[in-house]
Amino acid sequence: MVQQFLNGIITGSLYALIAVGLTMVYGILRILHIAHAAVFVGGAYIGLVAYTFTGSLVLALIAAAAGCSVLGYLIQRYLYTPMLTEERIVPLIASVGLFILCEDLFRLLGGPYIRAFKVDLWFEKIAFLEAVVTAHQVLILITTAVCLLVVYAVISKTKLGLAWQATAQDMDTARAMGVNIRQVVTFNFIIASSIAAIAGVMTAINYNSVLPTMGSVISYKMFAIVVLGGMGSIPGTVVASLIIGMSETFMSAYFGFIMPRDAIAFTAMILILIVRPQGLFGRAR
Amino acid sequence: MPPILRVENVAKSFGGVQALRKVSLQLMPNEILGLIGPNGAGKTTFFNTVCGVFRPDEGRVFLEERDVTGWPAHRIARMGIGRTFQIVKPFRNISLERNVLVALGHDRISGWRPSMLGTGLKAHRDEVRRLLRLVGLEEFIDQTPTTLPLGHQKRMEISRALALRPKVLMLDEPFAGLSEEDIVPLAGVIKNLQREGLSILLIEHNIPHVMELCSRLAVLNFGENLCDGPPEIIRRDPRVITAYLGS
Amino acid sequence: MGLGYLTTIGTLVCIYAILAISLNIISGYAGQASLGHAAFFGIGAYASALLTLKLGIGFWVAAPLAMMAAGAIGAVVGVISLRIKGDFLAVTTIGINFVIVTVFEYSDFFGGAYGIMGIQYPTLFGVKISKGYYLLMCLGFVGLCALFSLLVSKSWLGLALEAIRENEAAAEASGINCAKFKIIAFAFGCAWAGLAGVLFAHFMRFITPNDFAFPISITIVAMMVVGGIGTLRGPILGALLMAALPELLRPLANYRLLFYGGLIVLMTRFQPQGLFGDKAFILRMLLGRGPRSMRHSGD
Repeated sequence: MVQQFLNGIITGSLYALIAVGLTMVYGILRILHIAHAAVFVGGAYIGLVAYTFTGSLVLALIAAAAGCSVLGYLIQRYLYTPMLTEERIVPLIASVGLFILCEDLFRLLGGPYIRAFKVDLWFEKIAFLEAVVTAHQVLILITTAVCLLVVYAVISKTKLGLAWQATAQDMDTARAMGVNIRQVVTFNFIIASSIAAIAGVMTAINYNSVLPTMGSVISYKMFAIVVLGGMGSIPGTVVASLIIGMSETFMSAYFGFIMPRDAIAFTAMILILIVRPQGLFGRAR
Repeated sequence: MPPILRVENVAKSFGGVQALRKVSLQLMPNEILGLIGPNGAGKTTFFNTVCGVFRPDEGRVFLEERDVTGWPAHRIARMGIGRTFQIVKPFRNISLERNVLVALGHDRISGWRPSMLGTGLKAHRDEVRRLLRLVGLEEFIDQTPTTLPLGHQKRMEISRALALRPKVLMLDEPFAGLSEEDIVPLAGVIKNLQREGLSILLIEHNIPHVMELCSRLAVLNFGENLCDGPPEIIRRDPRVITAYLGS
Repeated sequence: MGLGYLTTIGTLVCIYAILAISLNIISGYAGQASLGHAAFFGIGAYASALLTLKLGIGFWVAAPLAMMAAGAIGAVVGVISLRIKGDFLAVTTIGINFVIVTVFEYSDFFGGAYGIMGIQYPTLFGVKISKGYYLLMCLGFVGLCALFSLLVSKSWLGLALEAIRENEAAAEASGINCAKFKIIAFAFGCAWAGLAGVLFAHFMRFITPNDFAFPISITIVAMMVVGGIGTLRGPILGALLMAALPELLRPLANYRLLFYGGLIVLMTRFQPQGLFGDKAFILRMLLGRGPRSMRHSGD
């Protein structure tokens, strides 16, 4: 029981790291940023390369975050921003196209097979109550907590964060109040992409594998999470991530094969949306 | 003579906010009734409740003595209430002809007629022309609304509402955002429609024009009726002055 | 490159063309985002495969039944679209695609992950249709589907869908029952996707859940968008271009998805109306002037 709970929290934490960035992008630009999953995979690859060369996990994380920030910025600047005046479906499809493009690019560059990403930490595993915790899991929990706290602090305490909040409320009003929208959007993509990169590295070391298609299931599952969280609400997204992570773990542990675990998020999402079309934690529009 | 539109004690709240407390109103045949009141008084909510966009929490709406409370918007439109929007809602990417045609063919579209899959849209071009001519837009029949200035888009909405062959026309701030030289001809159009037998209910902030155009005014404040009567009396009513000054 | 190979590609292009045209009724005409069209493709394929194999019904009876099954489930999605709108609807349709494929994959009734084998080639008056005639038959169905789409766009129904796409509140105020027409659009669009599934199942004679997964939905969307959303020629030419080109350029096989993704990105970025949509540069080049000015020669 405690073990399942713990596994659920770990899965949920990884989901949260990815989904928070997505919800931030949606909150500002109202774009369903499917290519965020490509940023996530890119982070894992950059991290692997950096780790292989330097042998330092910290440097690998920094390299991944930096590389993905650039990637995220480029996507924002040269793909999304010019499309904001188009029909809503256009950036969505562009994003899907970019995701397909990146996935194939990773396959061509990194090879179609699984690459190991083995990181040795101080200890291997410890017993905790009646459960066993691996060092990787501890690391994931700490990293997630740190990342979420940093995001929370930056958004609620800094001047740029306040500008971000204003822009998420209403971009036109924020612009009229003198908020530098361009700066906010850039900042938004850098934060979102950095934590996606960290999520990529964490996922990779947790499963000791990096592969080109590691983003394909998460690319749409994270939408289910973001939708449940109310689209654009960061706390809602974190709670939804944990709920989905937990229910996946518990369902597959106790109910076996009623439903494959990857379908749980979507089934939950569809059912909840029919009852509450604005999402679990969204405000009525 | 019975009123053509009778609204009795309509209430509507959103979450905890009571947008309409208790509003009653009667629109007599062939009159232009102006609905005025300070911002947030509930005028547009009232419109949307009458038109079926929202279902009222309480109260009744009668069109020609027929109870239409809670009917969906498209059914109320077909029953004979045409409306325009405060923020214009044209069908942006299709021609003015097709914009008007939508409403003109509403009975063909919403009933299960064989013509639903047939052609024959072109046959109605003359009627569309006539409707556009009423608001002075005939020459733009093949253009899309996006190519036209706001004033033209507002007039197009009136033309589209007229295509429903309505008994009641409800205009939500027809003059807002227009310049004086656009307002005068538009007021003329509205006056003409009334002369041709239409009953018109309009929300407007432009008091001088409302005074001139309307035969009667109803004032809303905080989601309640404040008073109604002929413009010259309303103008001098101290309650109205206080409501507008907000003290 | 043999004739048989070309026939195969031709048949697949036809199937994709039907899918793209039918999605265009939902997304292009009625403006409802649907990223799960492959699910209805799959429902048609599975329905027809099971009807012919398990109940021994002939192809020509199974096909309309499969269409109806896909259309009926499409109508259910239409009902869902009344409550869930815009981006939420787009994500919901992804979810529906995912859930339906999961049902295929995890249920023994649908053959599980291995799918269904041994689906029969259709016969006509007791004679097995040859591959060449099957292609002709598929072309015929593309023609029918295109004709249907054309009739819709020229009719009151098409006008109602256009109004809903442009502005729902205004459509309601103009007397249009948006709920009914959204459901109709989904039902018709999905029924045609079901037919494409029938044609696919009896052509491949072997189907697996993966043939109808989310990436296929994206391919269909991409064909529609690359060709030109909202027009009839767009989806057809888009399907032709995107289904045939990677097959014909065999050296590109390894870069197929790269090419797809790149094409989608470039198209949406620089030519969101599609290659053959209104205002598209190719059309302007071919005609020497804007198609809009041509259509409205009066002004």
